[in-house]
Amino acid sequence: MQVPFVGLQRQFHDLHDDLLAAFERVGASGMYIMGEELERFEAAAATYCGTRHALGVANGSDALFLVLKALGIGAGDEVITCPNSFIASAWVIVAAGAKPVFVDAGEDYNIDAAKLESAITSRTRAIIPVHLTGRPADMDAINAIAAKRGLAVLEDAAQAIGARLGAKRVGALGTAAGFSLHPLKNLGVYGDGGLITTDDTPLFERLAKLRNHGLRNRDECETWGYNSRLDPLQAAFAAVKLKQLDRWNARCREIAAQYREALQERVWVPRDRAQEEPVYHNFVIQLERRDALIEHLNTCGVGTRIHYPIPIHLQECAAGLGYRAGDFPVAERQARTILSLPIYPELTQAEIDHVIASVHKFF
Amino acid sequence: MNTKLAERNFLPQQYETTGALEINHNYLQPQFADHDAILEKIRGLVIRGDFTLGREVDQLEDEFAAMAGAAHAIGVGSGTDALFLSLKALGIDKGDEVITTPYTFFATIGAIVTAGAKPVFVDIGEDYNIDVSRIEAAITPRTKAILPVHWSGKPCDMDPMLEIAARHGLDIVEDACHAVQATYKNRPAGTLGTLGCFSFHPLKNLNVWGDGGIVTTNSDELAGKLRLLRNHGLINRDQCAVFAYNSRLDTLQAVVARHLLTKLDHITQSRIAHAKYFDERLGQIPQIKIPAREAAIKQVYHLYIMRCDQRDALQKYLVAHAVDAKIHYPIPMHLQPAAAYLGHQRGDFPVCERIVGEVLSLPVHEFITREQQDRVIALIESFYKG
Repeated sequence: MQVPFVGLQRQFHDLHDDLLAAFERVGASGMYIMGEELERFEAAAATYCGTRHALGVANGSDALFLVLKALGIGAGDEVITCPNSFIASAWVIVAAGAKPVFVDAGEDYNIDAAKLESAITSRTRAIIPVHLTGRPADMDAINAIAAKRGLAVLEDAAQAIGARLGAKRVGALGTAAGFSLHPLKNLGVYGDGGLITTDDTPLFERLAKLRNHGLRNRDECETWGYNSRLDPLQAAFAAVKLKQLDRWNARCREIAAQYREALQERVWVPRDRAQEEPVYHNFVIQLERRDALIEHLNTCGVGTRIHYPIPIHLQECAAGLGYRAGDFPVAERQARTILSLPIYPELTQAEIDHVIASVHKFF
Repeated sequence: MNTKLAERNFLPQQYETTGALEINHNYLQPQFADHDAILEKIRGLVIRGDFTLGREVDQLEDEFAAMAGAAHAIGVGSGTDALFLSLKALGIDKGDEVITTPYTFFATIGAIVTAGAKPVFVDIGEDYNIDVSRIEAAITPRTKAILPVHWSGKPCDMDPMLEIAARHGLDIVEDACHAVQATYKNRPAGTLGTLGCFSFHPLKNLNVWGDGGIVTTNSDELAGKLRLLRNHGLINRDQCAVFAYNSRLDTLQAVVARHLLTKLDHITQSRIAHAKYFDERLGQIPQIKIPAREAAIKQVYHLYIMRCDQRDALQKYLVAHAVDAKIHYPIPMHLQPAAAYLGHQRGDFPVCERIVGEVLSLPVHEFITREQQDRVIALIESFYKG
């Protein structure tokens, strides 16, 4: 049996008629930049996340980048984030002109809030906690520190749309949040797309201009800006999928529960804290013989991936930041031991059983 | 909920096809009528899961490079990003100056400023393009590049500009967003400088159904840099060579671009034919001025821009008679609120400032009919007869 790591074509088959109708409707409208389709999705996304505003942008990286610019963060500033994320979490800080300052991960892969305060300097302007694997970061602790030190909190919710912490969903847990609608995300479009959520109306108004050349109206430019818009075609696809998201996320949690139950004796498995409802964008186990398990699962037809094998501070692009191996021991150890198993709503029970049996066979 | 949606999302209004107008700049509805072939290909890529820098992007890049006469083409997120990433690929940053025109779309200046540099404006000539004879006086020790805009689809006077750039060691980044298939002395726009930037915005001569853009170059090194810069600086899935950007042409949109690329010769020829007809007929009207047409230059008329007496009244009259006459654009870049920090004032670029009060654009896309053109001409004639 083959269990591919991703299975997007299955989702497409399930939603084929609705997606096709969206394509025909947007196409026939002749409105391919912003407009009603985008506004409808933005309104639905704001309602879903429980925020006053949502704004579609070109991709998840731009979502974070534009918020940093709208907050006025630039040269001379520092922004704190974690070193075990996708590269974009750090480059948006560099692209904004600021310096990324890393804080090590905890066992749940999210930024270790206990180590946060010692990384704050007089130049720190914001914290970007990443809700890695779809699990909300420790936002109560992070927000408390941020409030005390006067810092903005920008949620990197690229992997976590729909996840809850207490009564709130991610996106409503900080100053603003950036989501990715990349095809492989829990809510993915068929190309690049991103979303910003916030309750802060002045910030939102600045962002709405920044993503569209800084324009005040057709003929007047208030501030030189960017071109970073979510295509209405992609927004219409996202709107179709948003209706399924809670059902899909619930199914991912159910698969995660099966993996956890079946594999906890063999490998380190992620567990949910009270008050938290993660969405399992990835189900990431840990074991010493990780590379051997990859080989084994490969021969069993089970696709796996590593998110991510090289921490950001050890990337070639980060050489100028002055970090070295050993600076973030938890993230560095995890980079050697983590492995992501296939997890998506369309997995069949037979496939889930095959993944579990294949891991057991390895031991 | 989102507030003030109407004011915030004003942009669609600029190319909205309203029931009220009969002769429009927007041709996307007739274009979409022929979408079956495109839909089949999109279905294929969705089933393959080929969404990001996939096969269709590779193929479009090869086909576009061949069509444009360049060694490389690199698909990016928008025409704006084509300009921005080109400047970054050349290493342009804080403290640098880039020479450009004040008569352009905001993105030209946005790209320079967001790259960290200072835009230095040079006035335009009667053909709407940068006045090359004034460039040299604007060069300082901080000047790194010239960013000419082939406005409306007419290439700038590139030979003297190239000579100046070579003498001062400057790069030229061509804003060819209006100028796909335009030529200057038989050389294609976008291949005349170091890098050429094109937009696939829905209303460009070659468009997609969302945002998109492409950069052309003959430099292997710059092509390699651009490929890194547009995709997080990644050299493979797991290794990042430089902190870079995310600005990719959607694979889905590459399908649209490839399909329309097969129609581009027709699109270009239609626009040229429609412009020629307007030239002949509108040229007879004393209150209308048509820019000089030059034998050595092939214009592609992304915009058909005439200059006219009583411009605002004429625009109002045409719109009232269901003709989508537009102004591209009424306020020059140096007089924008965003440019206040540069310290310019009215009078700094007199040719540009005069021309923006006279210009009016008429639709010349491939779906316009001769009857529609005749109707526009008759309306303009009747307006001036009073």
